[in-house]
Order: sequence, then C-alpha cells, then structure tokens
Amino acid sequence: MEEQNKSDWNLILPILILVSFLFVILRMNPDSIGFDIRFSSFLIVAVPLAVFPAILIIGQICKGKDLWKHQLKEGGIVALTALAITLALTIWLIVEFFAHHAHFGEPEEIFDWITFDLLVEGNALSESALSFGIWIDSVSLTVLFVATFLCFLICWFAIGYMTTDPINEDRNHRFFAEFLLFSMGMFGMVLADSFLWLFIFWEIMGLCSYLLIGFYWEKPSAAAAAKKAFLTTRVGDVFLMVGLFMLYDLYHSLEFAVIFGDPTLGGAVHGADLQWPLFFMFIGCVGKSAQFPLHVWLPDAMEGPTPVSALIHAATMVNAGLYLVARMFPLFSEHHFEGDLSDLAMLIAWVGGITACMAAFIAFVANDIKRVLAYSTMSQLAYIFTGLGAACWFANNGHHHLATIAFGAALFHLFNHAMAKGMLFMASGSVIHEMHHAHDHVHLYDDDDHHDFDPQDMRNMGGLASKLPVTSIAMMLGSMSIIGIPLIGGFWSKEGIIGQAWNVYLHGGEMILFPALLVLATAGMTGFYMSRMWFMTFAGKAKTEAAQHVHEDTPWIKTPLVTLSFVTAFGGILLAMYGFQHFLGENPDSAHLSSHGLLYTLEHAFLPAETTLKLVGWTAILLSAGLGPFIAARMHGGRLDDGEVATPMVSWLVDLSGRAGHTDVGELAEGGFAQALHNRLYIDDFYEYLIAKTIIPLAKISAWIDKNWVDGVIKGIESRSQSTSAWLRQFTTGRASDYLLMATVGMLAIIGILWGVV
Amino acid sequence: MIEPSWIAGLGAFLFCIGLVGVFTRKNAIIVLMCIEIMLNAVNLNFVAGAAHYENIDGWVYTSIAIAIAAAEVAVGLAIFLALYSQRGTISLDEVTLLKH
Repeated sequence: MEEQNKSDWNLILPILILVSFLFVILRMNPDSIGFDIRFSSFLIVAVPLAVFPAILIIGQICKGKDLWKHQLKEGGIVALTALAITLALTIWLIVEFFAHHAHFGEPEEIFDWITFDLLVEGNALSESALSFGIWIDSVSLTVLFVATFLCFLICWFAIGYMTTDPINEDRNHRFFAEFLLFSMGMFGMVLADSFLWLFIFWEIMGLCSYLLIGFYWEKPSAAAAAKKAFLTTRVGDVFLMVGLFMLYDLYHSLEFAVIFGDPTLGGAVHGADLQWPLFFMFIGCVGKSAQFPLHVWLPDAMEGPTPVSALIHAATMVNAGLYLVARMFPLFSEHHFEGDLSDLAMLIAWVGGITACMAAFIAFVANDIKRVLAYSTMSQLAYIFTGLGAACWFANNGHHHLATIAFGAALFHLFNHAMAKGMLFMASGSVIHEMHHAHDHVHLYDDDDHHDFDPQDMRNMGGLASKLPVTSIAMMLGSMSIIGIPLIGGFWSKEGIIGQAWNVYLHGGEMILFPALLVLATAGMTGFYMSRMWFMTFAGKAKTEAAQHVHEDTPWIKTPLVTLSFVTAFGGILLAMYGFQHFLGENPDSAHLSSHGLLYTLEHAFLPAETTLKLVGWTAILLSAGLGPFIAARMHGGRLDDGEVATPMVSWLVDLSGRAGHTDVGELAEGGFAQALHNRLYIDDFYEYLIAKTIIPLAKISAWIDKNWVDGVIKGIESRSQSTSAWLRQFTTGRASDYLLMATVGMLAIIGILWGVV
Repeated sequence: MIEPSWIAGLGAFLFCIGLVGVFTRKNAIIVLMCIEIMLNAVNLNFVAGAAHYENIDGWVYTSIAIAIAAAEVAVGLAIFLALYSQRGTISLDEVTLLKH
C-alpha cells in the first residue's frame, strides 16, 4: 500500500511541477510571448482536442506495451497532464479576471467559420459569417472552473479506478480519449460566444456521453442504456435546434454580443416573439439536465463506469442545461420584455419543483448506491431550475435586485452540487471498487457464479465505516452538503433557492406556490434519502461476507476525495462570506469579491428580515437536518460489529444512529406506493408503451415502404439488367467463325447504310 | 480481252465461297484453305485491274500478297500443330477460349 501510494505521487509530481512552472512563467510575463486572454481561453479548448486523438492512436499501436500500460497508465497520465494544463489556464484566467475588476469587454472573435451571403429584404445580399469566439463573464468562468477542476480530479480518480480492474485492460485508452473529448466539449460550450457553437459543443458532449455509457458495450444493459440516453436527449435537442432556428429568424444572428447587446433589435423584437424560441430551447435544457418528463435516461446512464457517472452525469454535462438557461437570463431582464416571459419563468420553476419531489421519492426505495445518487442529481438540478425560474420571474417583473440574488443562489448551488456530487460519485466508486475486490478475494476458490453478487447493492454493504475511513468521511461531507446541513456546502445555496422561490410568492407570483412547497418538502426528503444511503452503506453490521473484508487500498482514489472534502466542507461558507452569489448575479458589471464578515453572513442566512422567509428557512433546516436523517437513522442506522472502530470523524454519527432506536416499516415498504416507486412511478413503462403503440408501428410501415418501394426500384433495375445480360451472353460463343460472321454482317450493314439501301 | 467486270464478278464469287467456307467448316485446315481462296479472289481483282488500267501497281501488290499468304500459311499451320499437340484436336468448335 505504501509503495503504491508512493508510485502514484512519483508520477504526479513531475506533472504538477511542470504545470506550475508554466503557470509561473505566464504570470510573470504575460505580454512577452503574446499570451493573452483570447489565446489562453482558446488553448483550454484546443489542448484536449489535440491530445485526444493522440491517446486513441498511440493506445491502439502500443496496446499492452509496458511503458504505455504501467508508466503512462494507458494514456491516463497523458490525459491528466492535458487537464492539468487546462486547469492552470483557467486559474490564470480567473486571476486575470479579478485583477482587472471587470469583465473582459467585447467577446473575442477568433476565426470565421463559415462566411455566406444572406438574402435580406429588398433582394439585397448582406455578408454574414458564423464565427468562433470566446465569451467570458462571471457565469462562464464559474462553470469553467467547476468543469476543469472536476475533470482534473475525476481523471485522477479514473486512473486508479479504471486501470486496476482487469476487465478494462487494453481498452482504457478509449476511455481516456473519450474522457478528454468530453472535457473539450464542456470547456468549449462554456466559452462559446454564440448559441450556435454552444449547440455544437453540446452535441459533442452528447456523443461522448453515449460512448462512455456504452463503454462496456458487450453488456446488453449498457448498450441499451447508452441508446436510451442518446435518444432521449435527442428529443430535447431537436426542440433546442428548432428554438435556435426561431431565434436566428428574429435576430439574424446567434451571437451573444448581438442578442444581448440589443435584445429588442431596435424595437423590432417583442417579448411575445421570444416566448416560443425560449420555450423550445428550454425543452433542450430539460432533456440535457434530465428533468421531468425527459429524465428517464439518467438513472440508466449509471451503467457507465463510475468516473463517467461522476463527471458527465453528475458534475458537468447535466449542468449544460442549467448553463443554457442562465445564458437566456439577460433576455428575461430586458425591461422592454417586462411581463411577457413570466409564464415561461413559471414553467421553469414548475418543472424544477416537480422533478425535485419526484426524484426524491424514487430515491427513497432505490437500493443501488449509484441510482440513489442519480436520482439525487436529478432532484438537486431541479432545485437549480427552480432557483433559475424564480430569478427569471423576478427579472421579468422588474425586481432586478431579487433576480440577481436568486440567480446567484441558483448558480452557487450548481457549484456546490457539482463539487459534492462529483465527490459522492467518486466515493461510491471507491465503495463499489473495494466491495468488488473483497468479493473476488473472499470467493476466490468458490465455484459459485460470481455474477450473482451485485457490488453496487447497498443491501450487501453495511458497517463499512471502519474499513473505508477516507471514503466514509468524504461521503458524509458530500451527503451533508447535498442535504443542506447548516454551514456545509450546499446549505448556503439551497436556503437561498428555497427562500427566493417563496419570495416570488410574496411578490405576487402566486403560481409558484406549488413548486415552492415541493422544494421545501424535498429538503426533508433529501435529508432522508441521503442519510439512508450513508447509514445503509457505512453504519450497522456488515450484511455480507464481502463487506467484512473490504480494504481501502487502491492508489489514486484517495487524493481527489480528500481535496473535494475540503472544498465541500469549507468552500461553501468561504464563498458565501465573500458574496459569491452577488458576484454571479450582478454579471457582468462587477468582478470583485469582498468579505462581509462571518457574522453578517450567518445572520443573513439564519435570520432574514422577512418573517415568512425566516419561517421557511427554519422549516427547511428542521426537515433536512433533523427529521429526515432521524427517520433514516431509525430505519437503517445501528452500531458497527463488535471490535470494529470507525474513525473519530464519523464514529459520532454511527453512535448517534445506534442510539436512535429502530423502526420497522415493513408494511409501508411493501405498500402500493413503494411498489410504484420501485417501478419509477411507471414513467419508463409508460414511455415504452407509448413507443410500442406509436413509433414501432410507424417504423414497421416505413420498413415496409423501404423494402418494397425504395428497395423495389433498385432491385428491379438490378434484375432487369441481369436478364438482359443473360440474353446477350448467348451471342458470345467463343468460336472465331461466329465473330467473323457478326463482323461481316455488321460491315454489310454499314455499307448498306452508306449506300442508302436500308 | 475478257471484260474486267466478268473477272471482278468471278473474284466476288470466289470471295463468297471462301467466306461461307470460313463460317461453316469446323476443320481448321479447311478454314485456312477458305481464307486462301478469299485472298486469291482479291489477288485476281488486283491482276485484272492492273491489266485493264495498264498500271504495274496491281502486280506489285499481288506479289507481296502471295508472299505474305505463304508466310501466313506457315504460321497458321504451325499454330494448328501446337494446338493439336496440346488438345488433340483441331476442330474449331472445341477452341472457344475467346469466350472466357
């Protein structure tokens, strides 16, 4: 173990030194090498784009060679280096951003992609171009930091997770190449300066999501899950494309600078015109961020390797939908459109509220540790949607100050959730990995079928707190952040979202009452299902033999967990203290953080001025930090096996759960509602039924047309020419005299024609 | 002096006999003989033309044609010998390599 950890650092240290060296050079002398913001942002996209084919090709050539496999971890180290460079560049960008205390002015155009002439009114041609450029403001920088930071850490984790499993041998280069391509898509989408490029990178991410969910393509369930994810998001993307067409029709451009520069286009565009394009684009967001009713793909997407779940399906790609809604935000706050778009804002909040509650309910009964996290992801993303809906409503109804607060809270939650959920997925990956190894170890000499054992099933775990100390601490902190335990991570943003949703109600948006109630109730439900997951996994007695023999000794896995534990534990409160929400919300006029002091921040969070908000906030705290975990502890908690000692940081929690007593909910757990939850509220079945009734008959009809009409024509041509050639072939006897006869006849015919006989 | 048209007619008649022979006969040697008949029918026309127009060109052509015909027969018979030694027959019905 000691040696393994050492080798892990031996490899990492040169990279870190190299990158920090690069970083220092850039900081010292940014001008001398023509290294500007534009170029460095461009590099963030270009480096992964350039490296991913190299990994793929070299991996294919050097498969199995010692240097490639053991020193470079089948390309993992190469990918990690590329991601370290992007992370360093991002940090440099952020430092520059704050150093100038302002946004970077006009978007930086890098090159024209397609130039074309556009037919405008009066039959005149106007030259137009689709260009690629960089757009940087506080929102894109925040999401970019989340993306580069998590890509780097999860790649680190993936090296430990993927290369120690024999099933992945000799194909990890494919994983790392796709991982890098995905990172490129995410960075590009965040930095793009037009909706067009945003859409292109959006689709690159969709492709990588498909490829990585289906990484174990030989498993039928993984292949089906990949197709399901791809097709479901495709439904949303078609709508997004239609929305973009409509937007282009209005503005004759998709560039942010044009659209946000003058949203009315000199009075030519009205708020009512924007309703449908934005609505269609929102459906695209719903698909990408797995919200009701296009949420069905996300739980199945957990078939992919765990690092993929952590990165794509929890921390980054699913945030793309939120990012797009955040990008639409300036249109809501345009005062000429006031009141025209508040229905859409309400819709965003409603979709969020419904998804939050529904996903939390389904998470109640999920036994697969990754599925619990998947539903939790859906639920937390829904919170952010609710917050964005509230922000859009405020902005569209003239409450600009409140809008910035809600907007900041929503994006702050995006940050907190990405950090916590990325870590939770990595921790779950650690648990699964060690369970798997322990099971293989215990049953090494058995003849039993090993595949019966599901290392992801929480019913096989229990009592792991003493065996996986780092993982249990990380998982506890991550769960606390997601639940919203006061002072930790997600608490700061979640309180803001719930509070602002209720604030909309207080300011006359009666329609939001339903989603506002739902998100309030979901706070308690989150407390229950996240605690349930933790208690089932780490507290109580070990439920299987494998769970008794788990050890935490895979290299590469601990470092990202520890790093993110610190971010989750202290990041939230630090950023809240420095007014991170305002920094995000007041985009792009201000770019500085200033500390308001801890007391002010605490008072702001726990004792807001309005009585209703105070009530709502305390209800949320009581539900999420008190009631939910308490019930979970009564149902699933318990002391460890005798002789097992958990680390001090989590032992208090295990002891508390042991003291909580025990409740048996056998009857409730087998009731009709629980059954419905086990079947995911029958939504997947309903879609399957719908597809079987509509799409499949349609597919059969078009298959028939294809077979009989389209193919018929081709086959007819083919069979006719065959019969013609068969008829012609009989003249080819091979006898010289026959050919001579034909030549004679032909010559006579020519003579006849020349003489005019025939 | 015989009318040149009669001689031309005789030449055409001989040519047709040769042509029909080439089309119908199977034996390679008979076919070669028929080709010689056709060649001589043409030679006849040359000679007759030369006499009629009192021009020496026709005779020159004829003598060259006879020489070439002799060479051709020599080559042709050599081919038939090779064919016979390979296939044991010189029937043209059996030799349909052009088909393939």
